[in-house]
Amino acid sequence: MKTLQYFSLLPLVLMTATGQMPDSFDASGRSAQTQNGVQNNDPMRIGETPPPQVFGMELPLLDPSSDTVSYGGAKFDVGNNALVRERFEKFLTQEPDDSEQARLYRKQLQQILDYTERHSGSGSKIGSKTLVKIGMGLYKLSDYPADGDQGGALASAIVSALDALRANRRRDKATAELDAEIDQLIDKTNKLNNRNTSRGKGGGAAGDIKNPNTGNVGMNNTFLIAANTTKIAEKKTQQGANNAASQASLAVARLNYQGLAVWFLLQRRYDHAVIGARVYRHIFRDGDVTMNLDKDSDAYKLFTGISGVPPSINAVDTMASNLRSEVDKSMDAVYGALAQNKLGVATNRLIAAVAVGDYMQSVVSFPAEHRKRIDAYWQLRKRALTTLNARDYDGVEAIAAEMKKMDVDFDDSTLLSYTSARKRQSNFALRSARKAFEAGNDEEFRRLATEAAVIWPRNPNLDKGEQEIARVDAFEPVMEEFRRLLARKEFRNIYNERERFQVVAADNELKKQYTEVVEFVGATDIMLASLKTGSETDRTVGPCLAYEQMTLLMKKDERYSADKVFTDAYGQYAAQAHDFVQALTRAEDCEKRAEYGSALSCYFRARCFFPKSTMAQDGIERMTKIIISATY
Amino acid sequence: MARSSRRGRNRKVNSMPIIIGVLGILVVVLAGMLFFKPKARSVEPEPFNISRYREDGSRFASVGNRYVLEGKVESIETHGSNRMVAVSIRGNRNELLPLLLLGTPPSGVNITRGDKFIFDVSCRTGRDSAGNEVKGVLIVNDVKTK
Repeated sequence: MKTLQYFSLLPLVLMTATGQMPDSFDASGRSAQTQNGVQNNDPMRIGETPPPQVFGMELPLLDPSSDTVSYGGAKFDVGNNALVRERFEKFLTQEPDDSEQARLYRKQLQQILDYTERHSGSGSKIGSKTLVKIGMGLYKLSDYPADGDQGGALASAIVSALDALRANRRRDKATAELDAEIDQLIDKTNKLNNRNTSRGKGGGAAGDIKNPNTGNVGMNNTFLIAANTTKIAEKKTQQGANNAASQASLAVARLNYQGLAVWFLLQRRYDHAVIGARVYRHIFRDGDVTMNLDKDSDAYKLFTGISGVPPSINAVDTMASNLRSEVDKSMDAVYGALAQNKLGVATNRLIAAVAVGDYMQSVVSFPAEHRKRIDAYWQLRKRALTTLNARDYDGVEAIAAEMKKMDVDFDDSTLLSYTSARKRQSNFALRSARKAFEAGNDEEFRRLATEAAVIWPRNPNLDKGEQEIARVDAFEPVMEEFRRLLARKEFRNIYNERERFQVVAADNELKKQYTEVVEFVGATDIMLASLKTGSETDRTVGPCLAYEQMTLLMKKDERYSADKVFTDAYGQYAAQAHDFVQALTRAEDCEKRAEYGSALSCYFRARCFFPKSTMAQDGIERMTKIIISATY
Repeated sequence: MARSSRRGRNRKVNSMPIIIGVLGILVVVLAGMLFFKPKARSVEPEPFNISRYREDGSRFASVGNRYVLEGKVESIETHGSNRMVAVSIRGNRNELLPLLLLGTPPSGVNITRGDKFIFDVSCRTGRDSAGNEVKGVLIVNDVKTK
């Protein structure tokens, strides 16, 4: 039990001694580096996304569920913080005790401290009356519930120590009386010895005829001497027993008292610890202030760990006084920071004060309105951490903005840089996923979409993407129909229902084909309209021109042959330009049969009907070259 | 039918006019044959049918194969000493006939574009550099100025 309590205080004492408090509650993580218990590998975290990188620095994340902080790739156990955090949150929700009873308690406590301070100088001794006053005052402190009967315990310890000392004094007195009795016995014994000796020299030996009683007297003296010697021995034994009892009683009283003083220190009852330590010297006035602690005990290590010297009651006084001072300074800093609207600093200082000295009067009386302000900020900070852990970056940014309003010193740059980077990372992954989806790479799409969701689970684009996928799935029958028409080269049908087939654009490949079809048929219609106008303007050459252009197009792109509108128009122009068409057709036929003379003649004839005919001109040139270069 | 037979058997047919008519026709035919009788084995060129030529030029190489054309030179394409001349036929200026002139014509006439000439041509089949046939080419044998 004692060990547990020690561990609960030790880090706080150490940190207060250096004027620092653990910042493990927030995301700075600096103090977390100083914590022990580094865990490089947490099997529970295997497979999870590694800690985020912010400009080469890993942002520490406190996991409230496990009280660990991630920093530098390692996880730091900050389990002790849970205790402090719990106490701090309890403190924030409590009303300050400013009752009449509380004020009286504080007044009485201060009076006792004043008594001890007044008599703490060297050579100044507290009289028994003062000690009685202190004891009475301590007993009165116990009437106040928040004292936890600690005052009574200290008073009882003082009384017990005084009782032990009183018993020792009684034993000392008895020892002194025994000394006197022993002295008397020794005197008597000496006298008896002297008498025996003088009687022996004057013939007073046994059997003297003149004085027949002389021998009997000597005999009696000898018996008396022996009896006295026995009594002296008995009294000396009794004296030794008294001394031993006094020493044992003193040791027990001292040990109990010292234990209580250490207990007060460990329990953060610094006022009681100071009173106990200062009164100690006036109870045990032998000047021995060394504490008899087991060298293997945690309490012993606590003292030697800080000062490096053996523990003493003076060390308890010093430590308790320093901690009281630190707490008061922290509270002054809290008030100062609140006045400047620096809630972050105020919160940190208050955590320090509460963690170290939650029973201190300056802490207990902290006003309710200030508690509420800090509680609001503290809750926001907690929410920021949990929201960050939940990777809700929009939420984090909103909280950061709110915190900035509350705390003029709040630096959100690292947080915002981090969230911004993570959001971008998620969106990039999502964009790649979209490309993979459009390319029909389902596996890659699933991987990238999962990656995007893991990085930023609440990415709004995820919902959009999901909706789009659902929409695309709903369009699948239309896409299938589009593919079917495409395979049949029914471009005109696609074009006529191009509005309905627009949805195929969700598929990148189909989108490309859709665009090509729509552009092709659209351009064909424009061209046909133009040719129609031309043929209506010049009914002789117009149809020839239309026919020739359409023929050339069909030779170049087979899609024209598949378009009924095109082929219908083509047939119509062929009929209108019958002579030209016939000449060309015959020319081509003759050319195939190597009747080059006839072919050339036909091309000439075709050119007569349409002087600007490319086909005819090409044929003429081609045939001329063959004929003129042959041998006859 | 019976009535017709009965009538035929009872009727007298006058066959003289028929005989005279048949004889008359024979006389006319014979006279025509004599009048239009070609000058036997004459080397005079034949008239040229462009429409038939356009259909199957090589056929012209087997029948007499000597033709006279009168036309205007519309264009000349030169390849070495050979020339390809496009001629518009009289009465149909829109019809161009390709004629190949190999070297200089025997008459030594200088063929110029835009002028009218009388061409003596024959239809031949040549070979290209790969040995493939080049059929139905009209080659000018001689040229006369008109």
